[in-house]
Amino acid sequence: MSGGTDRDVAPFWAEDPDGAAGEYVLGTLSAEERAAFARALERDTALREAVTAWEKRLAPLAEAVPTVAPAPRVWEGIEARIGSGGGTASPDAPRPGAERVVRLERGLRRWRAAAGFASALAAGLALWIVVPHPATTDGRQYLAVVDRGGTLPALIVRVDLDGRTVQVRSLAAETPPDRSLELWYVGAGSAPRSLGLVGDASLTLPAGLRGVADGASLAVSVEPKGGSSTGAPTGPVIYSGRLIRE
Amino acid sequence: MPNEGVSAGADLAPMIAAVAAGDRAALRALYDATAPKLLGIVLRILKDRSAAEDVLQEVFVRVWQRAGSYDPQAGPPLVWLGAIARHKAIDRIRQDRAARLTQAEDGWLERLADTRDGEGDLARRDALARCLDAVEPGHRDCLVLAYCEGWSREELAARHDRPVNTIKTWLRRGLMSLRGCLEAA
Repeated sequence: MSGGTDRDVAPFWAEDPDGAAGEYVLGTLSAEERAAFARALERDTALREAVTAWEKRLAPLAEAVPTVAPAPRVWEGIEARIGSGGGTASPDAPRPGAERVVRLERGLRRWRAAAGFASALAAGLALWIVVPHPATTDGRQYLAVVDRGGTLPALIVRVDLDGRTVQVRSLAAETPPDRSLELWYVGAGSAPRSLGLVGDASLTLPAGLRGVADGASLAVSVEPKGGSSTGAPTGPVIYSGRLIRE
Repeated sequence: MPNEGVSAGADLAPMIAAVAAGDRAALRALYDATAPKLLGIVLRILKDRSAAEDVLQEVFVRVWQRAGSYDPQAGPPLVWLGAIARHKAIDRIRQDRAARLTQAEDGWLERLADTRDGEGDLARRDALARCLDAVEPGHRDCLVLAYCEGWSREELAARHDRPVNTIKTWLRRGLMSLRGCLEAA
């Protein structure tokens, strides 16, 4: 430990730790106080106990709230962010014949309000993957399509395990200026791996991504400009769709 | 099931333990059992369905990552989950500095009294209702709007036409009064 600067000055809660803990639970601390208090909680058992006691005292008020059923996309987003559940076979079994473009589960969310960059993106997001060459059809190519409510395909992703590429060309994507959309491969039972930013001309498959499991899916999340810095999705997942074998 | 909400807290604890062990099916079961209640909580604070659902997503990702830190001794599962949900929601509105429409919703105390049997702990709930009733009305209004709807000190100050510091004092006094009453019970 190299000495925290916050040791020099008495923290704002020093005078009334239990009152501060109560206000932390109420949510009425200022943003700065709240952040400092949350950091202190990590290491201060007494504060943590005070907070837990307030959570318990006030909880019946929260529990009195009427229930609201979440939209299906919420669970889809969670699943995409934790790595999709293994074992479940894709419901969209590929049919023989022409190129299969299967409509996949929609993870579309409405853009309004949430992050404040609403309409620009919602209006223009459409991406197309360039098919590099006729499929070698040995099960080494995968396809995912996510649509935006039945109108235009929003995202078609072709994963070519032989070429080790995911090719993406953006036709009309208007990514908000201060954000990036990041594409994730979510293998069954494993953490999401970044395939790169949506809009990049060509993405390379991460080393080690060999077997694409049936039931794996792709997800697109909203990230800070340049992509997630943590190696995992940090923003809301706005699209997700299963990969199917061509 | 007496209602679509969370029936008994008892069977949630094993689900959380299974989630901590990496069991996705358990996360789904926990989600099915608690997501509607948690969304209700978050929605009351954020007022925006889409934003509330984003937060709900974050709540369960967090639960997935942190289920191992749940300590059954520290409180019932729903209290733990509700706290995660409320904090995520509060974090979200405190970041969004944009002024939001604050319109107080009445009836929190009535709802507290009316909550159907089987939800939460009857004794805890009755004690809270009684003790909130004993808190000075202005202080109580601040406590309830802050906790249930995420009002900030500034928003409460505007509502009561008092300086922010007065509101802070009201909140602290209200909390102390509440604690005193609950501990005396």
